[in-house]
Amino acid sequence: MSKGFYTRLAVTNIRKNSKTYFPYILASSATVMMFYNLLYLLLSKDVNSMHDSSTLSAVLGLGSIVTGIFAFILLLYINSFLIKRRKKEFGLFNILGMEKKHIARIMLLETVMIGLLCIGLGLIAGVLFSKLALLLLLKILAMNASFGFEVPLRAVSITVILFGAIFLINLVYNVFQVHVSKPIELLKGGNVGEKEPQTKWLIALTGAAALGGGYFIALTVKSPLAALNLFFVAVILVIIGTYCLFTAGSIAVLKTLRRNKRFYYRTNPFIAVSGMIYRMKQNAAGLASICILATMVIVMVSSTVSLYIGLEDSLRTNYIREISVSASDTTPDDIKQVDDAIAETVKIRGLSIHNPIRLRYASEAAIQDGNAFTGIRSAGFSSSGLSMLMFITAEEYHRIEGVSVELSEGEALVYIVKGKLPGETLDFGGYSLNIRGRLDKMETIEEFSPLKNSMLAQSYVIVTADEQDLNRARQALNEGEEWLPGFQYNYLFDTKADRKAQADLVSSLQYVMRDLSVHVFVEGREASKNEFISLYGVLFFLGLFLGALFILGTVLIIYYKQISEGYDDKERFAIMSKVGLSRGEIKKTIRFQVLSVFFLPLIMAVIHIAAAFPVICKLLTIFNMTNVPLYAICTALTILVFAVCYAMIYSLTARTYYRIVR
Amino acid sequence: MALLDVRNLKKVYTTRFGKHQVQALSNVSFTIEEGEFVAIMGESGSGKTTLLNILAALDQPTSGEVLLAGKSMTSIPEKEISAFRRDQLGFVFQDFNLLDTFSLRDNIFLPLVLAGKSYKEMSSRLLPIARTLGISEILDKFPYEVSGGQKQRAAVARALITHPRIILADEPTGALDSRSSDELLNLFGEINRQGQTILMVTHSAKAASHANRVMFIKDGEVFHQIYKASKSRHEFYQNISDALTVIATGGDRRE
Repeated sequence: MSKGFYTRLAVTNIRKNSKTYFPYILASSATVMMFYNLLYLLLSKDVNSMHDSSTLSAVLGLGSIVTGIFAFILLLYINSFLIKRRKKEFGLFNILGMEKKHIARIMLLETVMIGLLCIGLGLIAGVLFSKLALLLLLKILAMNASFGFEVPLRAVSITVILFGAIFLINLVYNVFQVHVSKPIELLKGGNVGEKEPQTKWLIALTGAAALGGGYFIALTVKSPLAALNLFFVAVILVIIGTYCLFTAGSIAVLKTLRRNKRFYYRTNPFIAVSGMIYRMKQNAAGLASICILATMVIVMVSSTVSLYIGLEDSLRTNYIREISVSASDTTPDDIKQVDDAIAETVKIRGLSIHNPIRLRYASEAAIQDGNAFTGIRSAGFSSSGLSMLMFITAEEYHRIEGVSVELSEGEALVYIVKGKLPGETLDFGGYSLNIRGRLDKMETIEEFSPLKNSMLAQSYVIVTADEQDLNRARQALNEGEEWLPGFQYNYLFDTKADRKAQADLVSSLQYVMRDLSVHVFVEGREASKNEFISLYGVLFFLGLFLGALFILGTVLIIYYKQISEGYDDKERFAIMSKVGLSRGEIKKTIRFQVLSVFFLPLIMAVIHIAAAFPVICKLLTIFNMTNVPLYAICTALTILVFAVCYAMIYSLTARTYYRIVR
Repeated sequence: MALLDVRNLKKVYTTRFGKHQVQALSNVSFTIEEGEFVAIMGESGSGKTTLLNILAALDQPTSGEVLLAGKSMTSIPEKEISAFRRDQLGFVFQDFNLLDTFSLRDNIFLPLVLAGKSYKEMSSRLLPIARTLGISEILDKFPYEVSGGQKQRAAVARALITHPRIILADEPTGALDSRSSDELLNLFGEINRQGQTILMVTHSAKAASHANRVMFIKDGEVFHQIYKASKSRHEFYQNISDALTVIATGGDRRE
């Protein structure tokens, strides 16, 4: 047989299977394009020449790895579907006298052709779109683009190698599939009568319990720190719950529906429910995966978008004043030094201090139990009782709030930022203080971010008579430890100057503070803005990018799932039309069936997201994102966009499905 | 008035590009009276499948007419054809055509569900039919759990449950062993004695000998027909065999 024969055969095969191969080629090209674009951004000179490119390349690098892995899984999955459909064809070749090595040769030719086509198309599209991707990224990062066009060879070669490898693995898998099966099996393909799946109540109940547990954690978690600790547990529980419920729960529900005679014995439910009982056996895991994937996409996109949009908010939450000076382990003398240095530098710069906040305090973390606090060293770590204690002296209280109080030794004033303190006394590891009074208001503290944004569920301010009394309480908390870290000092203020002046002031303050005997840390809101933008911006970019990729993947998986079901259902619908099911009814039933398979994962994903909402809000506060309405809007919009993409693919799929079974 | 009146049926198939024409039915006319059990015999390619498809309203004739109880089937609009098939006709196929996703009971209920009948009515209709066919015990089993004979009896129940005017059976014993075949044909006889009209297409002389009348189709025409009348089944079988031999050896006899 001539070489031309194989080539011709391979081309005809691809053309004949175009209904299933076209989306595959499209998907492969799209993933090639996206992968190349990420690599391009990672390796391009424009991006690498930016200041602070390390965060950027770390995030982009991570994104490329995720994209690569996702492309690998997606293309492998679609390929396994394609080869299953074509087994009959290869069985026929085999029976007509073609040896398996000849079939392998055809497969090789097909793979080479499709591979070259996809990689070629993807790279061309990638190169064309790369400038656009760069401009988008730079726009997000609020930077200017340079002129010129670049095609980093390393990006091209890595893309070619990765996708070449994926196609090679697919080829090996296909050849192996044909090799291990007998011609008669190839001819038969997948048509074997299957038993009705059993209802597995135990798994269904486990699933419900796991899901309930996950939701319970997500809905009841109190502090961001607890959220951080438990989020992972909740996610695992929800994943387990989703899988169990889709596999066993769906069958239990469907069988219950079947038992309801008045519901079941009507045309639509009759055909759909009976079909889905079988469908679920093969597809439950797939649908559960789609559900989890969709949840992750929506969470990822909505949180990165809201972080980026809420950037200014976050910045203000994190830096309540333009300039922030902080020193640790300070004595009153040190403070004077710092204050003087600041006043002098500001004056030299020709600026003035506005809205200053000055606070010298000692903070301790302790485990709270009612009114008793134990040091974390002896009590061990537990996120639920963990509380933050901020000690200040009566003198300091007077200075910041302008109210003088007379406290004697063993007495304290308390101000509750978050949490509860019942009773008349406080106990710090054995040392007790009488509560002399409770403060309703403490303006300085209310503004002071470290406490307000604390990840803990409890935080209190304790005002004591003097430093000795204060340290006695701290020592007791630390089990009599002689050496205690000194007082923390924060000096925050605005200058009402422009960005440049602020940045310059930060630099000169940093310079001046180097000469002092204490260690001082100077930060500026404007100076930090760039770091925020580059981190949140690249996360935002990646969120959009991966979001698009995952939507593509999700949609393709469902498309192929539905098509393969269409082939399975063809015979069923043929029988039913013989018995008297009309064309209109067939269309209606198909719509009902495809609709439920399509939107079940999405509805479940939306429920997951609704349950996860409180815990994600708490997690976002770690990123200084406290604007809950903004996050809610972002989530709703993301779900909407996702649902619209979904609906478009649904109508396409339903049409293709109908054409198959007709 | 005859229940089924077939007048001058002609069916010509045209190949895809219109180059060749194949005449499947040239001129078929016959009538079937209420309560008859008629078998149609013929070799492969004689046109009997085409005839059955037209009678089942699955296919349209090129010319000619089919009247069921005086009503022309060719004039039924496309929209109502499924409902017509469901209500007026019952089908029994060679390969049963039961759905694996339904229990036997639900398979039998299928046409009634499509017709929008209530569950109560469906069960009350099923009861006597299942008893006659001897499948009351296995109604909750699935098609893959029962034998071929049982499957075909369930298929017969599905055909009967709509109280059709006529049952169209296409090689109903084709996939059955001889014992199941005998049982099924005896059931057909029994149902027929209860008043059900049956039209059966078959290859087998033995199956045909259960009918009251046998029509032979050759080259798209009704070539010959014989009545059982008062003959015993054995004698009738002998007549059918003789007729088949004559047809096969190319005789040209008409009655």
